[in-house]
Amino acid sequence: MMLFLARRTAALVVAVLLASFVVFLIPYVTPGDPVRKIIRSRVAGDAIDDSAVQALTAQLGLQDPLWTQYLRWLGRFASGDMGLSYTSRTPVVDQVLPALWVTLSLVVMTLAVAALIAVILGIAAALNEGRAADKAITAVSQAFIAMPEYWLAPMLVLVFALELSVLPSAGWEGPTSAVLPVAVLALRPASHFTSAVREGMLDALGADHVTAARGRGLSYFHTVRKHVIPNGLLPLTTLAAVWFAGLLGGSVIVEVIFAIPGMGRLLFDGVLNSDIPLAQGAVVVVVGLAVLLTTAADLVHGLLNPQVRMRHA
Amino acid sequence: MPEGLIIDDLHLSLRAPAGVSSGSSARPVLSGVGLTVAPGEFVALVGASGSGKTMTALSVLGLLPPQIQAASGSITLGGTDLLAASGAALNRLRGGRIGMLYQQPKRMFNPRMTVGSHLAEPLKLHRGLRGRQARAQALELLTSAGFEDPERVARAYPHQLSGGMAQRAMLAVAMAGQPELLLADEPTSALDKVLERQILELIDTQRRQHGLGVLYITHDLATVSAFADRVVVMDAGRVQEEGPARSVIGAPQTACARELLEACALTRRRIVVAGEALGLGPSRDILALDGVTKRFAKGRGAKPALKDVSLSLREGEILGVLGQSGSGKSTLARLLVEVEAPDRGSITRKLRAGDGKNDGGSAGSGVPGTGVQLVFQEPHDAFDPRMRLFDSLEAPLLRQRTGTADGRRERIQQAVRDVELDPDLLDRYPSQCSGGQLQRLTIARALLLDPAVLICDEATSALDAVTQRKVLDLLLRLHRDRQLSLIMISHDMNVIRYMSHRVAVLYQGALVELAGTSEFFANPRHGHSKELVAAARAHPAACAAPVACSDLAACAHRMLGANVAGGRPGTSRSLELVSARDA
Repeated sequence: MMLFLARRTAALVVAVLLASFVVFLIPYVTPGDPVRKIIRSRVAGDAIDDSAVQALTAQLGLQDPLWTQYLRWLGRFASGDMGLSYTSRTPVVDQVLPALWVTLSLVVMTLAVAALIAVILGIAAALNEGRAADKAITAVSQAFIAMPEYWLAPMLVLVFALELSVLPSAGWEGPTSAVLPVAVLALRPASHFTSAVREGMLDALGADHVTAARGRGLSYFHTVRKHVIPNGLLPLTTLAAVWFAGLLGGSVIVEVIFAIPGMGRLLFDGVLNSDIPLAQGAVVVVVGLAVLLTTAADLVHGLLNPQVRMRHA
Repeated sequence: MPEGLIIDDLHLSLRAPAGVSSGSSARPVLSGVGLTVAPGEFVALVGASGSGKTMTALSVLGLLPPQIQAASGSITLGGTDLLAASGAALNRLRGGRIGMLYQQPKRMFNPRMTVGSHLAEPLKLHRGLRGRQARAQALELLTSAGFEDPERVARAYPHQLSGGMAQRAMLAVAMAGQPELLLADEPTSALDKVLERQILELIDTQRRQHGLGVLYITHDLATVSAFADRVVVMDAGRVQEEGPARSVIGAPQTACARELLEACALTRRRIVVAGEALGLGPSRDILALDGVTKRFAKGRGAKPALKDVSLSLREGEILGVLGQSGSGKSTLARLLVEVEAPDRGSITRKLRAGDGKNDGGSAGSGVPGTGVQLVFQEPHDAFDPRMRLFDSLEAPLLRQRTGTADGRRERIQQAVRDVELDPDLLDRYPSQCSGGQLQRLTIARALLLDPAVLICDEATSALDAVTQRKVLDLLLRLHRDRQLSLIMISHDMNVIRYMSHRVAVLYQGALVELAGTSEFFANPRHGHSKELVAAARAHPAACAAPVACSDLAACAHRMLGANVAGGRPGTSRSLELVSARDA
């Protein structure tokens, strides 16, 4: 198990380093000179003084070799210094951490709602395989999985915020403000989870050991509860972790539409304003978290499966 | 009150599955099955696959698949009507008064739960034992199932058990509820002979100690006969023959009982019909390998899968290729059907008289590369599970881009009748067929392209003995009727001996021996061949009761007759009868 953990951790570090290098390179490959952009954002007027450009280049250490710059950037980053935002001139860290908290709460709520719906509907569909309930659940979940957030969000705002005036249309204050964003975000994972739970349950129901359990005298209810549901829900753990990682970055649209001060919103602003330190900080945090979560999901999956657990014991 | 299990005139029928067009709505699965198992009695229920044995057992437990229903008849256990029992009453019976063993023991355990927790369930349900009492009882059950370290086994997960251990653990689970009847559905078919005997002895001990009635389902009439009081032979959903084990085996009255015995005889090395091409005459070579080498792993020290193999197949010959796993048998097959190309050496194909050298294998079908066809080991893997069998068989014909849909349908139906199957089967999906049926269909599919050579790569290894025998006989008939040359690749000495004119032995990628079949088995020259032949001889004759001489002779005559009746001029087959004493 220790070796397994060590190997996974090493892979994780490599993945994060690779991602950070790509993120570090962003300003070098995007068109436009960031130094000029910075100056232009601070100075009124079109004329830019070349000496000012050179001074700022030296100040930012941009004349050094690329790898020196990368190591310096990485070292600062590791010690929690993500630099100053070009636009707000405040430390990026102070913007990233609160935003991360907002996004994490949004994503966790979303996944909890999606998983709850999926477990109920997926189990109901599998236990009624081929009947009307199953067909309805399958059809609805397939329809919802194709429904884009940028369409659904304005629709829900129109109905619940503008027509009925029961929920706020934007912002992040109080539990009611979370209802619409969570509903929009949860729809697709809920659909995806529902079909996964249904498939997992059908596999588990058809397993030979379920017949054997019935042959030992276990009632149908008892067999489903003890031998089918735990086995059938296993695929959900991995899937949920994948969606967790995906939603961290994928909540951009919802955060922008509902004006939620989360990571997606921060990233969006950073990119829009060419605020490179802000964008870099946000991306590295999101990528790092996503890699961490995927690894955690593998570990959890391993722990739930005796065959994997024992092989690494 | 009547004692033991009594099944009386049981009829089961199959509701046509949705989407499958079938003329009759309810096909019979069992037609009037009647049998009894008295307390303490060991009854063997014997039959080929698909004869209805398992359905009989499942109907006792009330665990029939939803598409199968009991139409009429009755099943009683100690006077309790099992067909009329309520759900709760059935739950008390299952695992309580009736224990069950299954064919694939490892798949019958929940992979996430230890053996101990499986034992805890029936102990709690049927005997009200919990906690320490239940644990002590579980260890006791495991001990009487032949485990020396019951505590370790109780903590083990199913994947940590071998097949034999899993079946013994399952026996402990089945005995946990102190049943009066044990249903054993082919519990040893997936195990080797030593383990089979061990399981049978364990069951027999439990029977003696607890007065347990045993209904033991198997297709292996011979092995079970040493333990069974009575034998019931089933075929096509009916009981065909019933009687004391000694008399059924000694003097079988019905054709299907004799068939089961013959199949047993093939695997028991009792009867050998060695088909030597004595008068094959100046037959030409249709496939010739010359110095063929093939390596998959690159780099120094990597052993070639085949090295410097020179071998030829004569027209109308059955060539047996023997070898253990990893000896290069399958590589040979892949080279011959041109899935792989040799690294060195050449393969010459002259599939039809007058063909030039290396014609690319285009034979009668007109599609290049179809003159040599391959039949695989796992019939279930050889079909796309999402395609109807008809579509799977039609696919190679569509490549020819000739003929009409009706013409293709006609050809496919003819090919299916040729392999002795009902064309109605073509509407099904692969999962709805037995292994034997599917293997016949792979043969039919191969024959649709009218090949000159059919390569059977362990084609019958995954089949039970009876089905194996039937498929082998089908191949012999096709060989005779269609002038088909066959390459039988197998690790099974008996299959090779039964089928081949000549035997080639592959060992670590090299051809180490090539000889006529009876010469090979009488006098193997290479060291590895000697080992193979010696191992086949040393195998204990597990056939407990002697096969009546008249049956051996009848069987031999049937084979001989078939060969003579349809034999080509100039071809005769020597017939060899090897008694158990010689072997």
